Amino acid sequence: MFVPTFVFLATFIYYPLCKGVVVAFQNYNMFDLTNVHFIGFKNFADVISDKNTSFWKVFLNTIEWTFFSLLLQFLLGFVLALTLRKPFRGRGIYTGLVFYTWALSGFAIGLIWSWLFNGQAGLVNDLLIRFHVIEKPIGFLSDPRYAMMSVIATNVWYGVPFFGIMLLAALQSVPNDLYEAAIIDGAGAARRLFSVTIPYIKPTIVSTLLLRTMWIVNFPDIIYAMTNGGPVNRTNILSTLMINKVFRQYDYGQGAAIGVIIMTLLGVYSVIYLQVAAKKDGT
Amino acid sequence: MMTTRKTKKVCAGVGRTVLLTLFLVTAILPLYWIFVTSLKNPKELYTFPLHYLPRHPTLAGYKSLFSFSNFGVYFKNSLLVSLGASFGAMVLSVLSGFALSRLKAKKGKRVLELILYFSQTIPTFIIMVPLFTIFQKLGLFDKLWALSLVYIATVVAFSTIMSRSFFDKVPVSLEEAAMIDGCTTVQSLRHVILPITLPGMAAIFCFAFINIWNELFLAVMLLMSPDKMTVPVALNSFISKAGISWDTMSAGIIIALLPTMIVFGIGQKYIVAGLTEGSVKE
Amino acid sequence: MGVHMKTALKSLSVLFLLVAFAMMPLYSQGSKETVAPKGEEKVTLTFVEVLTSPSRTKQLQDIIADYEKLHPNITINLISPPYEQADNKLTMMLNSNQELDIVEVRDHTIKQFVNNKKIIDLTPYLEKWDEYKDLLPLTVEAAKTVDNTPYLLPQFFYIKGLFVRTDVLAKYGITEMPKTLDEMYADAKNITGKVAGQYGYGFRGKGSPFKISDLLILANVPNISKDNIYRTDDGEFSFNTPEAKKSLTAYKDLFEKAAPSDSVNWGFNEQVNGFISGTTPFLVQDPDTVSMIGASLDASQYTVIPMPVGKSGKAYLDYGFAGLGIPTSSKHPDEAWDFISYVVSAGVNAKFCKEYGPLPVHASTYQTDPFFSSGVYKAWETEMSQPDTYVFVKYPLESAKYPAWAQTEEPSMQAFVLGQTQVDDLVGQWETYWK
Repeated sequence: MFVPTFVFLATFIYYPLCKGVVVAFQNYNMFDLTNVHFIGFKNFADVISDKNTSFWKVFLNTIEWTFFSLLLQFLLGFVLALTLRKPFRGRGIYTGLVFYTWALSGFAIGLIWSWLFNGQAGLVNDLLIRFHVIEKPIGFLSDPRYAMMSVIATNVWYGVPFFGIMLLAALQSVPNDLYEAAIIDGAGAARRLFSVTIPYIKPTIVSTLLLRTMWIVNFPDIIYAMTNGGPVNRTNILSTLMINKVFRQYDYGQGAAIGVIIMTLLGVYSVIYLQVAAKKDGT
Repeated sequence: MMTTRKTKKVCAGVGRTVLLTLFLVTAILPLYWIFVTSLKNPKELYTFPLHYLPRHPTLAGYKSLFSFSNFGVYFKNSLLVSLGASFGAMVLSVLSGFALSRLKAKKGKRVLELILYFSQTIPTFIIMVPLFTIFQKLGLFDKLWALSLVYIATVVAFSTIMSRSFFDKVPVSLEEAAMIDGCTTVQSLRHVILPITLPGMAAIFCFAFINIWNELFLAVMLLMSPDKMTVPVALNSFISKAGISWDTMSAGIIIALLPTMIVFGIGQKYIVAGLTEGSVKE
Repeated sequence: MGVHMKTALKSLSVLFLLVAFAMMPLYSQGSKETVAPKGEEKVTLTFVEVLTSPSRTKQLQDIIADYEKLHPNITINLISPPYEQADNKLTMMLNSNQELDIVEVRDHTIKQFVNNKKIIDLTPYLEKWDEYKDLLPLTVEAAKTVDNTPYLLPQFFYIKGLFVRTDVLAKYGITEMPKTLDEMYADAKNITGKVAGQYGYGFRGKGSPFKISDLLILANVPNISKDNIYRTDDGEFSFNTPEAKKSLTAYKDLFEKAAPSDSVNWGFNEQVNGFISGTTPFLVQDPDTVSMIGASLDASQYTVIPMPVGKSGKAYLDYGFAGLGIPTSSKHPDEAWDFISYVVSAGVNAKFCKEYGPLPVHASTYQTDPFFSSGVYKAWETEMSQPDTYVFVKYPLESAKYPAWAQTEEPSMQAFVLGQTQVDDLVGQWETYWK
C-alpha cells in the first residue's frame, strides 16, 4: 500500500537528490564544464569563507526570517482562529475571503507587495501618510533597516491562513466537557485558554510548526521577487543565496553545496526539536 | 454582577468585530489593488498621487491576456496538470497514509516517517538539473502527464503525512463495527468509511491543488512548446528585458487566482472538518 | 485491517486508474507534428530564443512564417522560455546535448557556450555570405568576442543612451540638454526637492547595476583600455585611479542629492516607472526601452540624447549585444545558417529592430533608413558615428570571474552609497576581486 508512494518519491525526489548532492562535491560550474571532477569539500569551504558575501550574515538572516515569520504567522493565525471559533452569519464567505492569501503564488505575492511597498508611490506609504502616521515616505524595501521587516510582513500576510485553518480545526476539536469542567472549577477565559485549550491541541501544533519551519526556510520566492537578497545582502537567506549561485553565477556546485547545508541544518534542527517536544510530553 | 458580565460580553463582541474587520481589510486590500490595476489604462499605472479607482476603466488588459497571449490554452493546461496530479496524490496518499497509520512495526514506522519528513527539507533547486537530465534521457519534455507525475512526487509526502493523521483519528474498531452490524461492503463504504475519509481526502486535494497550480520552476524547466505552458509560466513570461507589461500581468494574476480561490474556498470547510479531532462520534 | 476497508481502497485505486486512462488523450492534445515524413526532404529546425517578451515573440513568429513561405520544406519550432529563466534553461538544454538548431546567444553567455564546446564556428558560413561586408565593424568585433572567432552573428546592439523628460525639465526652466556629466549631475541635483517628490536621476540599485554606474564613473578617467573597461592603458585597475575615486564620490553624491533613497534597490522596472511618472527625469537605458516608454508617454514629453561626456572629454560605451548561433548538436547546420542569414539580413534586421527597439547591425541600414538617424534614435546614431568621443569598450566577458561579478558589485556598491563603506575600501575590495 505504501509502495506506489515510495516509487514516486524514489524516482522523482530521492534519485535526483543523490545526483544533486554529488554535484555539491564537484567543481560543477556551467561556465566551463570541460573538467568536472571531485573536489571534496571545496565548494562548502568557498561558500562559508566568501569574503564578498558573509555566510554568517546570510545564516543569521535565515534564522531571523524563519523565526519571526513563524512566530507572527502562528500568533496571528491563532488570534484569527479564536475570533472565528464562534459561528456568525456569513462566516463561510468571510473565511473564504480572509484565507485566500494562501492560494496566491509566491511570485504574484512578491510582485504585488513590491509595488505596495514602493518607496515613492506605494500604497502602504500612501496610507501611512494619509493617516498621518509618518510624514515622509519610507523606503521599505531599500532601507536596510526596514527591508527584512517588510519581507517578513509579506510572508506573514501569506502564511496566516495555514495556521488559521489548522488551529481553528484544532480548537473545534476540544471536547466541550473539558471546558465545562474548567468552568466548574472557576477558571476564567484566559485560564481556560492556557490550561485546557493549548495543552489539548499541543500535538497538532508541534508537528505543524516543524513542517512550516522547513517550508519557510525553503521558500525564497517572496524575497527573490521583492529584494533579491538586498539591500546590501540584508534580506539574503540561504535559499536566495542558493538561487543566485545557480541562476546568476552558474555555479551549480556551490549552489548544491548550499542545498546540502540547508538540508543538514533542517535535519539537525528537526531531530533536536522532536527530542525536546517528546521530553516535554514526558514520553 | 449582571451588568459587568454583560459589559464584558459586549466588549468581547466589539473586540471580535474590530479584529475580524482588521484581518479582512489587510487580506483584501492588496487583492483590491491588483484588481483595480488590471482595469487601469497603461498611462494611469504610475500616477502619483495614487488612483484608488481607475479614472478610465478598461478591459484591455484582459482582452490582451486572452487574445494576444493565448491565456486560454495555458489555463486549460494548468487545469489538466493540477487536477490530474492532485487527484493522483490524493489517491496515493490515502493508500500510504492508511497503511502508515495502521502499521504496527514501530521501527518500520519510524523509517517511513523519516523518509516522508526528510523530503520536506529538500530545496527544489538541488533536484532541478538531475530531473532535467532524466526527462531528457527518457524524452519526457513537453509531456504534461510526465509533469503531473513529477508534481505528484513533490506533494505526495506531505499528503501522506496529512492523511496519516486523519486515519490516526479513525478508530480501527469502526471498520469492524460496520461489519458486525451486517452492512454489505458497499453499504459500509457509503455510510461509514467514505463520510469519514472524505473530508480528509478533500483537504489533501485542496492543498495539493494549490501547491501544484502555483508551481513555477519545474514547469519552466520541463516544458518546451508554447502551447504546453502552464499558468505560472505564462505569467512569468510577461516579464521581459524591457520590463513588465502590467496591464496583462495584473489581469493574469486575477484570472490565475480564481481556480485556487474557488478550490480553497470550497475546500476549507472540509479541511477544517478533516482536521477536527473527535469528529468521529461512535 | 478490515475487509471493507481493504475493498474500499482497492476500488479507489481501480477508479483512479480508470480516470487516468480516460484523461490521457486530453493530455496529448495539441502536440505539433515534429517528425518529418521520410522521402519528402522536410526539415524541422528548433530555435530557442532567450530575450523573450510577448511582443517580440510575435514578431519572431511572423518572421518565421515569412521564411517558411519562402522555404516550404522547412518548419521552424520556436521555443520561448520566460526571460528570467531563459538563459539558464538554454544552458541546461545545450549541456544535455539536446538537438537544437538555432540558439539566441548573448554577450554574457557566448564564452560559456564556447568553453563547453556547444556552439560552432561560423567562419565558413560568414566567408560565403554576401552581406558580410555590410556589417558594421562593431558587429564583426562583437561576433569575434571569444578567441577572435565568430561564434555568433549579432542581431541587436544594446547601447546606453540618456533618456530625458524634456517637459519636466522645462517646468524648472532647464531647456538645454546637458553635454557633460557635470552638467547632468548639476541639473539633476538642481531640480531635486523643488517640489515634494521631485528627484533628478533614476538610480539603478539592483540587477547588474554596474552596467550603468561604470559608464558614469569611469567617463572621468582618460585612458580606459578598449579591451577591458576595468583596466587603463597602463594596466592599472580602472577604479584605482585618482579620477575614478573622485568620480565614485561624485556618484555617491548624486545618489544622496538627486535620487530617491529607495532607488538603492531599484531594478529596471522602478527605474522606468520613475521616468514615466516624472519623478526621475534622467534615465540611462538601452534602446529597447523606447517602445515601452512610448506606450505611456507622448513623443513631446521626452527625448534621448547621447551619453554626456566625462572630464576625459569622452564617454565610454559598452556595446551589449545578442545574436544567433548554431549548436554543435544540430543535425542541420546548413539549413540553420540559411535561416540565420535571413533573419539577420539587412532588410529583415532593420524591420525587426524598428518594431522591437534595439540597434541594427548593418552599415547600410543607418545610411538608407531615416528611422535610425532621426527622432530619439539620433542620439544613438551620434554615439555610433563619433568614435573619438564615444569610445566603445569591452567588459571582461571571457573571464571566469565575470559571471559572479554582478552579485559581488551590487551589495558592495549599495553599501558604499549608503555610507557604510569608504571609497578606498570599496576600490580595494573590487581590485582584489579582479586580481
